[in-house]
Amino acid sequence: MAMLSNRRKSALVAYSLVAPFVICFVIFFVWPTIHVIQMSFTDAPLLGGGSWVGLANYKKLLSDKLFYTSIVNNGYFVLLTVIPTTIIALLIALMVNRLRGGLQAFVLVIFFLPYVLPVSVVTQIWLWMLDFQYGVLQPAIAFFTGKPVAVFRNPHWVMPMLAVVTIWWTNGFNVLLFIAGLRNISPELYEAAALDGATPRQRFWRVTWPLLWPVTALVLTLQLILQLKLFDQVYLTSAGGPFNSSYVLLLMLYREAFQLNHGGYGSAIALVLVVLIAVISVLQFQILRIRSAR
Amino acid sequence: MKRLLKAAAAAAMLVASAGIAAAETQNVVWWDFLGGGDGVRMKALIADFNKEHPDIQIQATTLQWGVPFYTKVRTSAGVGEGPDVMTYHLSRVPIALSEGVLSPITDEDLANAGLKKEDFFPRAIEAASSDGQLYAVPFDIHAVILYYNRDLLKGTPYLDADGKLTGINNLDDFNKALQAMKDKGVEVPLSIATADVSGGTVWRAFYTLLSQQGGQLIVGNEVLPGDNEAKAVKAVKILADWRAADLIPEQTAYPASVALFSAGKAAFHFNGVWEVPTFTDLHKKGSLGDWSATVFPTLLDQPATWADSHSFAIPKEAGKETDPAKRKAVMEVIGWMEKHALRWADAGHIPAYLPVATSAEYKAMEPNAAYAPLAEHAAYDPRSTIAGVASPVYDAALNIIEPAIDGLLSPEDAVAQMKEQLQPLLN
Repeated sequence: MAMLSNRRKSALVAYSLVAPFVICFVIFFVWPTIHVIQMSFTDAPLLGGGSWVGLANYKKLLSDKLFYTSIVNNGYFVLLTVIPTTIIALLIALMVNRLRGGLQAFVLVIFFLPYVLPVSVVTQIWLWMLDFQYGVLQPAIAFFTGKPVAVFRNPHWVMPMLAVVTIWWTNGFNVLLFIAGLRNISPELYEAAALDGATPRQRFWRVTWPLLWPVTALVLTLQLILQLKLFDQVYLTSAGGPFNSSYVLLLMLYREAFQLNHGGYGSAIALVLVVLIAVISVLQFQILRIRSAR
Repeated sequence: MKRLLKAAAAAAMLVASAGIAAAETQNVVWWDFLGGGDGVRMKALIADFNKEHPDIQIQATTLQWGVPFYTKVRTSAGVGEGPDVMTYHLSRVPIALSEGVLSPITDEDLANAGLKKEDFFPRAIEAASSDGQLYAVPFDIHAVILYYNRDLLKGTPYLDADGKLTGINNLDDFNKALQAMKDKGVEVPLSIATADVSGGTVWRAFYTLLSQQGGQLIVGNEVLPGDNEAKAVKAVKILADWRAADLIPEQTAYPASVALFSAGKAAFHFNGVWEVPTFTDLHKKGSLGDWSATVFPTLLDQPATWADSHSFAIPKEAGKETDPAKRKAVMEVIGWMEKHALRWADAGHIPAYLPVATSAEYKAMEPNAAYAPLAEHAAYDPRSTIAGVASPVYDAALNIIEPAIDGLLSPEDAVAQMKEQLQPLLN
């Protein structure tokens, strides 16, 4: 009897401890999500109710040329960022890992610094450096192309350049994850491998790479989700242009919802993006798991 | 200790008197989007109003121009938390009406402000009304004008004896003038912000050239129907040709386009009236030589100049009773501002209020008075929910016309893409 009441008591305590989180989560996440789903089936403006239109928003979206342009651009951006940023972060982490003490901390800080900056500052820095008339990087570009290029106004340059800016900005965090992963690998394994006569290359591919794989998979998945949500950099540099060559789903969502006051259609775009991200990241994670199970 | 007590007593009295004052005064919450040089002038006007009116105090907040401002107005009015009065672009009136965010301005309101509809430029009243009902009180007309550098033009046939621009009556004349400047070794014959991140400058240039052909961007529910398409192509082509002939500089951001003129490197500059104070100040400091500005010449069939207006509007607040005393105070603010618009004209804008615009003081202002006649043929943005400041039409200018000017897209393709992009938004 005493045990029963004790259990009930502890359950009560447990509930009361999780309650603040659950209540906040329901009010600020679950409830709006339900609303967005509901709104996507209406013709509601951004504020106030609308009437039920069934699947009309989704049908409209599937026949919208801009939707496909956006998906292609989103895909292109993922290709340009996810794997490159992972490789670069790994290389930097391997190098930083060889440093010791204060120097290591200092170098880490330098690589991490851009990540601390707000996106508006990041894009402003790059807009200045790449300014068509005065940018310090224009001579470097001119060296290869023969003349300066207004990179954010050029359909061929805009996406790769956005990828460069994004990698520069977000790489520090990935480096940190890799450093943590590298520190988790026991030095004895390297000692044993060295005793068995493994070359540095073999030590990397046979010890570091497989043991680091969970971190690599994590970085790849996080990056995929993050880069599919591309918006700020585009909004602040190219605004989707020139002629939609950097138009992405979230920009479409922003314009529909906030500029054109189409809350219902905007919600439909948001939901499609959520589903896309969920499906792609689950797929990717499964593929990565198979790879690690081998 | 005694001193401390004295100070405490003084503080208490101050608080008490502030309390009494607060009970008597009407606080008018004011939102604007004026962050530039004109914002400074507006803040001075507001400060003076507050000084003159102990019973009405304006509490002003300046917000981010463009989509952020208009989104905030829409959402705050929707929950009854909007300002008492706000600045509004007249080009945004159609979209505002579709959103239902503006409270109609009645004749009684106008009377409370000491104003009449007849006191304003008819074009501005027209842009501020729908079906004869007024929704905003126009404050100014701001348009694009042609700035010119007299030092560079000296000795050419394009300046008359008074130093006024002359002899530019069609596109050919203008091209010749630009070419003459180039041949003379002027670095930039015409500076124009072709890489303006808001898309504004390109839109204004395009729309001015379209309107000068009598073209219309939107007719009924159609984007560029009939021969309007060909006219739009011609407008884009004129801009692209200037670039191809190197008469306008490549990829110029807005500040750079201003800097080229203020540094004396550009003979002509295409921009809005709001840069007049910039150049006036620079001339006073001696860094800019002899300059002036005039109505953008008629290059094509008829005079027309892109224009918009700043106006005052009152949001329609959801679920909130209007307080007549507050509304009267708001109208008093608007009336006072209109009557002191001469100081707003100092920011380059043409006062929409005729008693000021026709006053001797205004006519003495140079170069303001020289370009004031453009108010007669002001071409406001198309009356449509997809046009106006920070609208899809502005985006299209940035997204499609700009690359066409730089030769990345033919004018025909650009106009076709523009139609393709804007038409679905109207359906």
